[in-house]
Amino acid sequence: MTARFYTRNGANRSETMAGGVDVSLIEDMLQFIGVFVSFSIAYVAFRGLKQTRSPALLRLATAFLFLGVGFMVQAVLGLDGVVTVLPALTTTAVAGLVVASALMETAGYFFLAFSHALDVMFSRRLKVSLLLFPVFTLSAAQTTDALSILSFYFILYGVLETITAYARNRKPDTLLIALGLALLGAGTFVAWLSLMYPVVYVLSLVQIIIKEVGLMILFIPVLSYALGGKANGPI
Amino acid sequence: MAQYRTQARIIADVLTTARDMNTEGSGVGITTLLRKGNMSYSRMSKLLTELVGSGLLLELNKEKISRYKISDRGLQFLQAYYQFEDFAQSFGLRL
Repeated sequence: MTARFYTRNGANRSETMAGGVDVSLIEDMLQFIGVFVSFSIAYVAFRGLKQTRSPALLRLATAFLFLGVGFMVQAVLGLDGVVTVLPALTTTAVAGLVVASALMETAGYFFLAFSHALDVMFSRRLKVSLLLFPVFTLSAAQTTDALSILSFYFILYGVLETITAYARNRKPDTLLIALGLALLGAGTFVAWLSLMYPVVYVLSLVQIIIKEVGLMILFIPVLSYALGGKANGPI
Repeated sequence: MAQYRTQARIIADVLTTARDMNTEGSGVGITTLLRKGNMSYSRMSKLLTELVGSGLLLELNKEKISRYKISDRGLQFLQAYYQFEDFAQSFGLRL
């Protein structure tokens, strides 16, 4: 089928590492971890939204819902290269799905950065934040590449704001989230490198491993909430 | 610098005052809520009407004076608020 052996970068998926391990297969498996973690965080945020009607939780839930859907599309497309799960798709349709997944991911990071930007605006730290806010350098490269550049800036901004928040509240959970986001950013950066050096197959695997470790670190503080709630308040 | 309070934070502050200052069980007067809530009378009146309307506060009328007591629903809201405030703070955000 047409969708087989197609990756986000349009590269051939048949690359194999020295040990005979199919890199793309490992990538696909790791993508599903991303789906699970993102949807879990979105679920907890939605639960909070339902009970408190907080706009901050709405943005957080939306961010991770977009990220989860983006990871899911990538994972399903990747899985389709191994086992047929999608109906026969034209190359254009597959390319459309690839761009859509990148767009979802970027939208997710955007909502994360947007939440911080609003928080900063309301807390009157706007002038400082403008210095930190991402400066977009859109290239004439493919849409997916441009979107990954945007994603990187959004994550970077999220990391900076989360570290600033940690300096204020000194909560270990905030530091973990900052570390998780930083790893997501590092993964996106390695993804750039893998686009620049497509012959170095290991970069593609490294970027997804870094991203997944980042997502798992993000999941650690969320786990207690996902498992039915954590009451640290004064009640 | 004064800390910006979100709407959810303001509601939580009012409900917390109504819960903690209700030592005799007869509710809390608007003066106490104003003093602890740090907001104008008109804004507090509007907020109290909303909170009573949504069932988070109970209005007790004694000798033509309104006093306010936190409801079970209000207590549930406070519990959820503090739980998810912690969650949002983990992401460096405020509810």
